[in-house]
Amino acid sequence: MFILKNAWISIKRNKGRNILIGIIILIIACACTITLAIKNTAGYLINSYKNAYEKEVTISFNRENMMKDFNPSQEEEKQKAKEKFDNISSYTISDVEKFADSDYIESYYYTYGVGLNGNSIEKAEIESNNDIPNGFGHGKENNMSSTDFTLTGYSSLDAMSEFISGTYTMSEITDNAWDIAFNGNYVFINEELAEYNDLKLNDKIKLEDEDGNIYEFEIIGIFKEKEEGNTNAMSMFSNSANTILTNASAVTNITTSNEDLRSTISPTFIIDSYDNVEKLQNEFYEKGLDENFVLQTNEEEATSGVSSIENINSFATTFLSLTLIIGGIVLFVINMINIRERKYEIGVLRTIGISKLKLTMQFVSELVIVSIVALILGACIGAVSSKGVSNALLESEINSSNERTEEIGKNFGGENMNGGMPDRGGDRGEMRGKGMPVVEAYDSIDAVVDIKVLLELLGIGLSLVLVSSVASMVSIQRFSPLTILKERS
Amino acid sequence: MVNKKKNNYVSKDKIRNNFERKEPKNIILSIKKASYRYNDAEENDYALKDVSFDFESGKIYAIRGRSGTGKTTLLSLISGLEKCTEGEIIFDGKSLNGMNLDKYRNSDIGIVFQSYNLLPFMTASENIILSMDANGLKIKNKKEKAIELMEKVGLKENYADRKVLRLSGGEQQRVAIARSLSYNPKMIIADEPTGNLDKQTETEILEIFKKLAHEENKCVIIVTHSQNVCDTVDVIYDLKKVKDVSASK
Repeated sequence: MFILKNAWISIKRNKGRNILIGIIILIIACACTITLAIKNTAGYLINSYKNAYEKEVTISFNRENMMKDFNPSQEEEKQKAKEKFDNISSYTISDVEKFADSDYIESYYYTYGVGLNGNSIEKAEIESNNDIPNGFGHGKENNMSSTDFTLTGYSSLDAMSEFISGTYTMSEITDNAWDIAFNGNYVFINEELAEYNDLKLNDKIKLEDEDGNIYEFEIIGIFKEKEEGNTNAMSMFSNSANTILTNASAVTNITTSNEDLRSTISPTFIIDSYDNVEKLQNEFYEKGLDENFVLQTNEEEATSGVSSIENINSFATTFLSLTLIIGGIVLFVINMINIRERKYEIGVLRTIGISKLKLTMQFVSELVIVSIVALILGACIGAVSSKGVSNALLESEINSSNERTEEIGKNFGGENMNGGMPDRGGDRGEMRGKGMPVVEAYDSIDAVVDIKVLLELLGIGLSLVLVSSVASMVSIQRFSPLTILKERS
Repeated sequence: MVNKKKNNYVSKDKIRNNFERKEPKNIILSIKKASYRYNDAEENDYALKDVSFDFESGKIYAIRGRSGTGKTTLLSLISGLEKCTEGEIIFDGKSLNGMNLDKYRNSDIGIVFQSYNLLPFMTASENIILSMDANGLKIKNKKEKAIELMEKVGLKENYADRKVLRLSGGEQQRVAIARSLSYNPKMIIADEPTGNLDKQTETEILEIFKKLAHEENKCVIIVTHSQNVCDTVDVIYDLKKVKDVSASK
């Protein structure tokens, strides 16, 4: 009590000096609050990006392994490679389900493709006579090149990556399309195919397999492909002109009724951490995945978007460090001057029997009281300012996020997500943010300057005060009271 | 001529004879062969060497000596601001070497300086109360007690709320004495307490010290080179330079 009482008297007595110390700490607190808020915002953005990119794992063919020791100039080598390729055992839907039953996997989805011929419709095709090779081909059409159409079944909305990325956009859709799209023989067809066969919404089309089995589907949507997605320069139709989109169960029904049909499965597994990919791959091999397949992640894609934000974060850290170093030095110097000015007082107090410890505590208390007041004021000013700073920092991300959300909504056939998309609960939010975080403007201060920031600020402030008090602590220990008083005399 | 005697002091007892002095009844402070050398001094360069004095309660003492004889050094040893390099100081039967010297200074002894050493930003009563607080005294009305002490040293109540810088030298010294009495110490140590005062004020201050010694049974030690002070005290200890020790009166 005596220490605090003396500290308070001293603060009141040295108003000028304490106001100066208070202003310096206030500036430091203000700068720290803004910097910590920027770091907080940057952290939020980095997390948003990382969360927006779900940790995905896909199975891909290990070409590098396949081409190892392969010499194309020797016919024998070619033959060996062909045999090796033919012996690779593919995986089925039940294999995918088996793989997905893992502790490392949170969820999964897949596309299931099968080649069919037209029965009631014709393939959209007017090819040039020029025989220009297409290189290694383009996806599913080439896999099913012997049939007219590729019927691609999606297991869920998440699997409809072409719509999410904007490669496909829905141009027409029935009102209840998303209610029925994943349950029954319903399809989305390319608008070029629709035009070619004069088809419209709710029309029925018939497809048949190589054995003549006929399957009937109802059109519930018509989509188009982005022009830049069309890599087939010698065709007047887009790549997806003969791709018919449906749900995975519809394709499963077809492949179950005719097991000889050639089908392709492209599963995507959502994992809990990229660190577990190697363990997961080994688990897949144990469960029967051919070792010519490897697991690939989207980690590179997921982290590439955050580099600029990480730069801001690191700049904020540097700025914070510089503020603390400069502020600490200024406070240290003021404390040194303070101690020199108050040498006589220290001498008198020591002479009348006040211990070094109590005296040190009194000097530190004075600084702590002034600092706490300045820290509170600085935190308030900093919090108000940082809301604007953080929102300015987020502005481009907010705009991109909003535009992206709107764009995905339109890709799926609605003016916005509420109109065009089925209600899929929590998953929908993830879908909106897929590849681009859902970033919203801060509308309240406590969103930017939360309790964590305040505690960090308090810790920084008090550490700074203690470090800058070292001068007074050491001086008090070293001063000889009688020498001080003699000097004064 | 250099005297090789180790003891570098003589004492004069105005009241008691030599026999009584050899067997003091009420020794409150005893300096036993105390020596002091500054940390940065050479091995044999002592500021004070082999000093042995006894101080009794109820007496007023003067420690006299020319500049450089170690008066202030002795004062800092007695007041526990420094520790002896050799020898020891016994206060009330206990060696200062093993005592909490902060507690000793704010409970057992009161110190009065030539330049008063009051805190200028405080009033007279605040200076006295500060000393009570340092001692941890539990008194309900500390200001009342401070005024009482001020009156005891001849200051009126209306001085209590005056900033000390508005007081004369003599008044400030009275406040300093009142401060030193605030926790009722057994011993008062004063360093040239009248050095800055006129003759009349000096006499008045010395009267206060005499009263404290003779009426309140305190031991008062005054470091001085004032003849007026020496004429007032009961016992005089002369300090001589360490290598030039000679008898005084």
